[in-house]
Amino acid sequence: MQVMNTPPYDAIPDPDRPRGGPEPGDGEAARLRPPQSRVSSRAIGVWTLRILFGSVFTLVLLSAVAWGASSLGWAWIPFSVQDNAWLLPLAYGVYALLKVAIVPSWRYRVHRWEVAGDIIYTRVGWISRTWQLVPVNRLQTVDHTQGWLERVFDVATLEVQTASYAGSSTIEGLDAGQARRLSEDLAVRAGALRDDAT
Amino acid sequence: MGTEQEDGGRAEQHGERYGSGARGVPDGTGRGPQGGHGARPAEGDGAARVLPGEGVPAHGGPGPEPHPAPPPEGSAPAGGWVAPGSTPAPRDPGRAAGGAVPAGPPAVYGTSAQGAGGPPQGWDDRSRTGPGAVPGHGQPAPAPEPPRTATTYGAPPHDAPPQGPPPYGAPPGGVPWHGPAPHPGAPGDVPPYGAPPHSGPPHGAAPRAWWGPAPAEGPEAGAAPGGRARDAAPFLAPERARRISPRSMVVGPINQLKGLLVPIAAGLVLGGFNAWVLGATGATVVALLVGGFVTWRTTRYEVGEDRLEIRKGLIRRSRRTIPLERVRGVDVTSTLLHRLLGVAVVRIEAAAGSAAATEDGKLDAVAADEAERLRRVLLHRKAVLTGQETGPRAAPGGGAPEAGEAARGEAQAPPVPEDDTVTYFAMPRSWYLYGALSLGYLLTPFAVLATLFGTVQQTAGELANDFVVDWVTSSDRGFLLVAALVFAGVLVLLMPVFAVVSYALTHWGFSLRGRDGSLVAERGLFTRRSVTLERRRIRGHELLDTPLERTRGAVRLRAIVTGLGDAANRAVLLPTGPRPVVEDVVGRALALFGGTLKRHPRAALFRRLTRAVGPFALVAVVAAALGAEWLAVAGAVLAVLGIPLGVDRYRALGHGYDGERVSVRSGSLSRSQATVERSAVIGWTWRQTLFQRGPSLADLQVTVGAGAGGYTVQDASIGESVAFAAQVTPEMVRPFLEDPGAPGHKG
Repeated sequence: MQVMNTPPYDAIPDPDRPRGGPEPGDGEAARLRPPQSRVSSRAIGVWTLRILFGSVFTLVLLSAVAWGASSLGWAWIPFSVQDNAWLLPLAYGVYALLKVAIVPSWRYRVHRWEVAGDIIYTRVGWISRTWQLVPVNRLQTVDHTQGWLERVFDVATLEVQTASYAGSSTIEGLDAGQARRLSEDLAVRAGALRDDAT
Repeated sequence: MGTEQEDGGRAEQHGERYGSGARGVPDGTGRGPQGGHGARPAEGDGAARVLPGEGVPAHGGPGPEPHPAPPPEGSAPAGGWVAPGSTPAPRDPGRAAGGAVPAGPPAVYGTSAQGAGGPPQGWDDRSRTGPGAVPGHGQPAPAPEPPRTATTYGAPPHDAPPQGPPPYGAPPGGVPWHGPAPHPGAPGDVPPYGAPPHSGPPHGAAPRAWWGPAPAEGPEAGAAPGGRARDAAPFLAPERARRISPRSMVVGPINQLKGLLVPIAAGLVLGGFNAWVLGATGATVVALLVGGFVTWRTTRYEVGEDRLEIRKGLIRRSRRTIPLERVRGVDVTSTLLHRLLGVAVVRIEAAAGSAAATEDGKLDAVAADEAERLRRVLLHRKAVLTGQETGPRAAPGGGAPEAGEAARGEAQAPPVPEDDTVTYFAMPRSWYLYGALSLGYLLTPFAVLATLFGTVQQTAGELANDFVVDWVTSSDRGFLLVAALVFAGVLVLLMPVFAVVSYALTHWGFSLRGRDGSLVAERGLFTRRSVTLERRRIRGHELLDTPLERTRGAVRLRAIVTGLGDAANRAVLLPTGPRPVVEDVVGRALALFGGTLKRHPRAALFRRLTRAVGPFALVAVVAAALGAEWLAVAGAVLAVLGIPLGVDRYRALGHGYDGERVSVRSGSLSRSQATVERSAVIGWTWRQTLFQRGPSLADLQVTVGAGAGGYTVQDASIGESVAFAAQVTPEMVRPFLEDPGAPGHKG
């Protein structure tokens, strides 16, 4: 009634109706179900290599530091540190190995997305998780990007942005073709639904 | 009052010649008439009437006929004159002029038509002369009116008669009549403007030439031969180009000089006032003055029908066009210097294509009343353009006359119609005392001292250092100690005083008004700044307080606005004040959150405590283990202080929904309660870290395309927060809810 021009999900607040309606009302708990679609399984490869490269770089760096600390004989470094400097790259190496082994597949299980009812619903993360809802009619930009590693695996990243930095959502590891189609669909749909987008 | 038929005939015959001229004049018509009259009164009159009588068409007739297609009858629609704006225009002119100089407008036409050879020239002259000149001609053209009329026409886009020259485009340069433009219909006509010889309206014709044909402005510029008359023009018509205030020639250089003052002074002192240094200083000052002059000469702004254009620069020219629909706010600021000279800086904030990028237009500086006028005109037009207000927009055809009337009705009225200003708040004296509650202001004395030392050090350098060192080493120790203590004591005692004084300076005469669909907050003693926030862009508000302020029950109010830069300063709607009063103002000016906030689960308390105490406790333990006593003690003290902090943080947590607005509160040292309209919620994000998973907590971020972009409900129970989101925006959340009947599968 009062707000006819507001977005579709903006149901009219009806003062007479009990708040929240019959479903999830005050104090009640509700649960989000996981989004329906998984990203492409090739994304695991991308993540693995990405973590691997990052880890190797860091490992080399740490090894250099450790080597410097133990063999250059700088006086200001305590002996205990000089003697045990090799522990640092070792510890990191173990950590990196575990990360490479576990994180990509774990992340693959968590990363999911869905577009339904003109809402983009995503779940990302691994240890910490993030669920995000972004209405399509508030989209301002839809970016479809592919890094070199992603191109090797033929996957792509889709990023949607709204008027708020907090409203940006990223879906990594989509099949490239699917990502392209999705980005086009979203852009068209956003154009059709668009209100002032803020 | 020649015969109508005759006119028609003439029109046709001569039409061509005039016609050309005519088109140029689109809007000019209004004015033209006056000028025209003077020239050939007799004929003119006749013609004039004809036109009116026949209605629009008649006018148009002459113009169109010429080149384009020979208009059917002289009466043919396109007013030769008016050509551009013509068709519709005709009527208006009739009316507008009608009152004062009935015959007037027509006359013009007539003239043009008849005076085949001669007239053109005549016109030119007039055109240049402008309205003022007109009167002289004998035809008592009410100076003020004509412009309006003209404007009115200009406004309605549709006017563009079949002939080609787009109404606006046409006559940029004021050159309008120059009709030199041979063929009316020909697009080519338009160009003439750009080229306007001398033509021009007093203000700037010449410069315009460089800038080339200006698209939308044409009409005004051309239209506005007479500067002052224009001021009374109806709001929606394009205005003529204006210059910034000549006084900016003084302000600009002085402001720039301020930055150079220290180096210059240092140079003079160190250089021993030798000729080179003096010469360089003189040259700098002269250069600044010349720069100020050039800036003044070359900066020009123009309020078009749907855009604001700011052109500046001599060598490197720039033109910024801001579509009025995109104007988000207009700020008027004036420093003490500005106010001494009666000028102000106007900053127009506009949203560029994406919300992220904003492009501002800045006018430094215009006369204070012009600044105020500009603010209102811009906001009003913007409101009309975006359909929030029905403005006197001349509708094609039928609408025009009314507009004309409306315009006439408000002869001397300011451009913007009713003044619907509502004052929500004017600062009571006692509120200045709240300055003493603000840490920022309490620290002012130290900031001042630091700057002072900095300046001394910079300017006097070594000298001062040596002096201080000498003094310290030569003085008695006890005396120094006492002096330092006394100094520190005085400083501390004076802190509140300084705080109140400096707070009062910046918040002097704080007022909050509502006007034209905007909220206007104004404050400041020396630098007076006024910020206009469009209501449509205000998505909610934030109530902020610190523990110090809470002891006195005081809060600050900030608006949550879309696309507002420097929000920390500009979104401030009220100074610090007692909560009930602030809430009352919120209730009247915006909308108060009517619900209650729900507490967060106990587990949140534990998390707040660990986060407030944990890091410091860890530091204390590690430091103690390493034997760093000082650090250990400091860590321990902070850890203990963290306990009340954590508890207070927990108590601050809350979120609620009152059916229309969502409210979220958190924080202790800087507590904030953000309230946003439901329609402003553009998404939800839940984040759950490993530590939150056990107790089933999550941070829920309410995404808002305004203010900070998101407001976080910290450590809410995840189930409850999902239900909360579903309650606020069911459409967004419900499709993704787990079926309650199904066995839970946790995401």
